[in-house]
Amino acid sequence: MTLKHPRALILSLLLFFPGIGFALNISLAQIDASRLLVTQNVRVYVSVTNDQGMPVQGLEKDAFKIAESSDGVSFQEIPQISVFIPNAGAVSGMTFLLLIDDSGSMYDTLDGRATTDPSLMRITHAKDAVRTLLAGMTNPADRVGLAYFNTSYHLLSRPTTDRRGIDRLLDGIQRPAPDQAYTELYASLALAAQEFAGIQGRKAIIVLSDGENYPYVQHAGKTHPVFGNRIFTYTESVTANQEEGNTIYAVNFGTGSVPDKNLKDIALQTGGKIFDARNRDELAGVYDTIHQQVAGEYLLTYRATLIPAEKKYVRASITAPDGEVSVTRFYFASTVFGLPLSRLTLLLVIPFVLAILLLWGLSLLRLERKDEPARLEVLQTQVGHAVTRVVPLTTAKTVIGGSTKADLTIVGAPQVKEQHATILFDQKTKSYTVVGTGDILVNNQPVKTRTLESGDVIDVGGAVIVFDDEKKGGK
Amino acid sequence: MTTLARRLILLAIGLLSGLCAWPAAELILFLQAGFPSYLIFSVFLGAVTGGLMGAFFGAAEGITSRVKSRIPTGLVLGALVGLVGGGLGLLAGQAVLWLIGTLVMQSYASFQRVVLPLSHAIGWAVLGVFVGAGEGVRAGSLKKIGIGILGGMAGGLLGGFVLEYGRLLLPRAGISRLFGFAVLGLAIGGFYGLIERGMSFGIFRILTGGLKGKEFLLNQRRMRLGRSPRNEIALPSYEDLADRQAQVRIRKGEVVLVNLEPRLPILVNEQKIDERRLRLGDVIRIGSARIFYKYE
Repeated sequence: MTLKHPRALILSLLLFFPGIGFALNISLAQIDASRLLVTQNVRVYVSVTNDQGMPVQGLEKDAFKIAESSDGVSFQEIPQISVFIPNAGAVSGMTFLLLIDDSGSMYDTLDGRATTDPSLMRITHAKDAVRTLLAGMTNPADRVGLAYFNTSYHLLSRPTTDRRGIDRLLDGIQRPAPDQAYTELYASLALAAQEFAGIQGRKAIIVLSDGENYPYVQHAGKTHPVFGNRIFTYTESVTANQEEGNTIYAVNFGTGSVPDKNLKDIALQTGGKIFDARNRDELAGVYDTIHQQVAGEYLLTYRATLIPAEKKYVRASITAPDGEVSVTRFYFASTVFGLPLSRLTLLLVIPFVLAILLLWGLSLLRLERKDEPARLEVLQTQVGHAVTRVVPLTTAKTVIGGSTKADLTIVGAPQVKEQHATILFDQKTKSYTVVGTGDILVNNQPVKTRTLESGDVIDVGGAVIVFDDEKKGGK
Repeated sequence: MTTLARRLILLAIGLLSGLCAWPAAELILFLQAGFPSYLIFSVFLGAVTGGLMGAFFGAAEGITSRVKSRIPTGLVLGALVGLVGGGLGLLAGQAVLWLIGTLVMQSYASFQRVVLPLSHAIGWAVLGVFVGAGEGVRAGSLKKIGIGILGGMAGGLLGGFVLEYGRLLLPRAGISRLFGFAVLGLAIGGFYGLIERGMSFGIFRILTGGLKGKEFLLNQRRMRLGRSPRNEIALPSYEDLADRQAQVRIRKGEVVLVNLEPRLPILVNEQKIDERRLRLGDVIRIGSARIFYKYE
């Protein structure tokens, strides 16, 4: 282990002497699977922070372990981290959601006493703090959204680059009615995790709260209009945000003597940090602290497994003095055809063979027509229609016309005479001749009479009839 | 063979192509974890399924044109084109699937409901586009490529949705995937049959000989006619015509028949022609073959 910084030395000492208590937090700031298809590599940005929420630097590759899983339960260890780069985090712009506690207790003083003076209320300090945060966001590419919560969770604005608009929306947060004044902190943090849908890059929730989760069901004794009888735990809000890769930073308005442990843990476990609302310098430095954390991230590149999964879970872990800490997120690993069958069956051979046999059967379809007796076939009619489409020429004389007594009757065509044309069979020459009483065309040439060859096309008043005598003339 | 029969056969062949490709796909999917990378897995899976489907569609032309000798070459060429198209198609489909899945809507809440079905359907559609275009590439016809792309896209989208929603209804994923393949094949076959007709400039109906009743769609800018099975309008069992006797050209929306072998005459309405603009209802005589030019 090569050491470049004194802090790393301290850390490595701590790692080798587990007796010294030292809690580490690990978070997966980003999973970049965009090169998976081409290189089979996945890149993960891992943030490691200490119990103060400050980035831990100087860690070596061997300290990290990566595993993948299809179900988040059974993991397959990745044998090797191929590329390891410390201090790799860099952001062009971050996305923040400011989440303001608007419960009843936020209208007390910072010390937790009831007051009627708005300037002493926690909510007023919280709004001031938000304005300080907004002023500190120097990168124009940063996006900020705004939400508040009490008994319910309310989104005021999805993340946007319009920070002035966010500022204006702050005044819309008003003191809630008694029934609305409960504190669904954990539920709201879980819901807020979804506000970053589709957003890439670093994402953070900055929650300003006195940290006291005070669920409606438990304390009002009534069913919650949205959550029903469900009571959210703080681990649910941690998991929901870990899965989306959101870091939670908390600005604590709780009384200094009784800090809310869970609010701090929520922040630390998602890779964030808790700040004290009364410390103005610290508040002003929130933005810088966040950027410092991002810059201290480790970039780990590894070769992904091909375990079939719609979403593949990545677990990054690090050995800390007080045991192993790990974090799990997933990336989208669905394939076009989806997941394989749980087991293969020989029955699959059946459709495969059946399809090939049926194709072969289709190719055997009768390709040549058999010899058929001479006949007339109506191809199309301009006006009216033929009563029968095919008429065999079995007699010495076959009449085509509009009459129902004709052998081939064309109805609904006024220009077709009762007996418009006749086909005569000559026993001696074994040939057929067409004789027109009305105007007829053979092969689009006007004729009165004509000895027919197979394939000749006779036009009788717009009805197109083909003469078919393959045995003789047609070859 | 009438146009209706041709359509039905194309549909049947499409269905069979899906039926044949499905078990192969299942086998490869089952072995996914053993592949070295997603790249090789996708290309291999796409090549095998595309190759099988391509073989079926390649054989289709020989079957519907009733020229048996064209079946084996069509099958092999179709398989090769399908192999390449399927490999590229599934790779592209997978890339699109992941692009949508990760970049556009990576939201945990709507993952099952929206992300999976939509991105899968689009992934399938990309595969379908490549497989559908294959037959046009094989036949060297831009129009057929376009038709195939439409059919493949429609079938892929529909097939992908059928797969995803079928899986919600029937938890046995394998069966719903069979429906996905069947829909893809049916749609490509159906589009070959349907749109081809809408885009055609008429039909040559054979009135005599072994191909009597067979209808050739005039759907390409240039189609050759003669005894050789290589012609688009192949009349191998007829006499007194050359291997490449004539060419049918579409010129400004009109169909022109050109005799390429003046020593063997072509008659249109009993008049000898060298080059002639055809009108609906014309009767053409080429060697022992009689052809009726009609629209529908």
